[in-house]
Amino acid sequence: MIHAELLSRQYGIPSSKKTDNGAFYAVRDLSFHVRRGEVMGLLGPNGAGKSTTMKMLTCFLPPSSGDATINGVPLKDDVRIRQQLGYLPEQAPLYTDLDVHAHLAFIASMQGLPKATAADRIREMARLCGLESVLNRRIDELSKGFRQRVGLAASMLHDPVCLILDEPTTGLDPNQIVEIRHLIRRLGEEKTVLLSSHVLSEVEAVCDRVMIISDGQLRSIGTTDELSRAASGESRLRLVLRGDVSRFTTAIRSQHSTCSVEAEVAATGDDVYQLMLSCSDPSVHLGELAFQAAVSAGAVLLEMQPQSTSLEDVFHQMTGGRS
Amino acid sequence: MNRVLAMMFKEWKICIDTPLGYVIAVAFFLASGYFFSSNLFLIGQADMRNWFSSLPLLLMFFMPALAMRMLADEQRTGTFELLATMPLRTGEIVAGKFLAVLLQITLLLALTLTYPLTLALIGDLDVGQVSVSYIAALLMASSYAAMCLFASGITRYEVVAYVVGFGLLLAMFLVSQSLPLLPPAMQDTVMLLSPLAHYESMIRGMLALEDVLYFLSLTGLFLILTWFSLERRRWM
Repeated sequence: MIHAELLSRQYGIPSSKKTDNGAFYAVRDLSFHVRRGEVMGLLGPNGAGKSTTMKMLTCFLPPSSGDATINGVPLKDDVRIRQQLGYLPEQAPLYTDLDVHAHLAFIASMQGLPKATAADRIREMARLCGLESVLNRRIDELSKGFRQRVGLAASMLHDPVCLILDEPTTGLDPNQIVEIRHLIRRLGEEKTVLLSSHVLSEVEAVCDRVMIISDGQLRSIGTTDELSRAASGESRLRLVLRGDVSRFTTAIRSQHSTCSVEAEVAATGDDVYQLMLSCSDPSVHLGELAFQAAVSAGAVLLEMQPQSTSLEDVFHQMTGGRS
Repeated sequence: MNRVLAMMFKEWKICIDTPLGYVIAVAFFLASGYFFSSNLFLIGQADMRNWFSSLPLLLMFFMPALAMRMLADEQRTGTFELLATMPLRTGEIVAGKFLAVLLQITLLLALTLTYPLTLALIGDLDVGQVSVSYIAALLMASSYAAMCLFASGITRYEVVAYVVGFGLLLAMFLVSQSLPLLPPAMQDTVMLLSPLAHYESMIRGMLALEDVLYFLSLTGLFLILTWFSLERRRWM
């Protein structure tokens, strides 16, 4: 659905970093692919190039080099691209002097919808986004949550195949965030959604796949599980064991030298210990190894819990700790 | 064309739904009424010539006010990004905004038709001259609207848009005022470029093609410059 190929955008502002003949690259050689009916999260610290990427895909800014296609349409065919797209820029810009209905009607006419169709679509989007009760209210009287929903409704009026949402939950309260996430999730069942955020829990909750960018470059792409595995490079198992820890550790090492037992987790008393078993060899089944080692050490395994690297850790690792 | 009209009506709706439009209209009629009545009662002349002569001065203050928020506001609030990512051309945005300003000033001028109607009741009105003068006023207003729209396109701030628009119109005004100070060789050229000189020639009652073409060209030139000002993001 969305194919980006070596997309770059440079500005003429000299910068101490990322310079190439004095130019500043907001995005550099970004290539990715978002599948039809997929919710893709675009994750990155502030200033990573998320918004610039979205502005290029929506033809607001032309790329300095590279190209992209959306539903097979290249970026240079900007009018056709925009027909395919629904775009919600950051902070949902709206005509606050108009009422909700007038705003949506204006957007519908800009999208070229015939009047009768526009009336039906406005009704349908108002229902989908929960705007029926505020259709005749002026936008500047609405709460942030409602404004965000007006922005979403406006971006979907022309029934686009692809939605590009730039930080759609910024500034919302926790209840509103949950509502908007549900809405995006529902939309993602039918449409391709590219969603930017620097809220990790949001991306985890809403997106099928995640793309992490930093300093304008792609750092990683995949499902959150894939990213976690790629980031940690090892599998880990948290254990609660009763028995002799040193015999257990020796048993582990004798079976697999690549595996280690971290003793950083303190004893909890009554000869019960919490341990972290990790192994860089992906072919080793840690559960089986722990069981056999416990048997040979005469220890009892009370708990076993596989540990995954959180998206926070992945993000931190990929972006070099920038926020 | 539907999009251009929709843009125009959206601006019209904002204009009548917010106090700014009414404040500008009231101030315009106070100032315009002053020029009209002082001519009628103080000088005792039942003609519109002096009122039309004062119109460029009035428009210098009011046109930037009508146009200042048209594009600056869209850029400041981010709605321009919304417009620029919908399937419409920058030219359609410029045309819709221009027509919106033109609609507002045309309505203001239309309401001043009460002046010639009053004069027709109490004196002998030269209908031909007044009609040509209104055409001249509209043509000049359209070129002023384009200039002020350009001022609104180059900034995100309404105040800056007003000051730049006012500055452009003031420059046009000063060019014609400085004519007597210029060497005779330059006077003809400057007169050819001065909107006021063309306007003055029209409000004498002569509808000359060169004057009409001059105002249409000036309007077109500034609409193109407005288009460039909105497209500049592409080359930055």
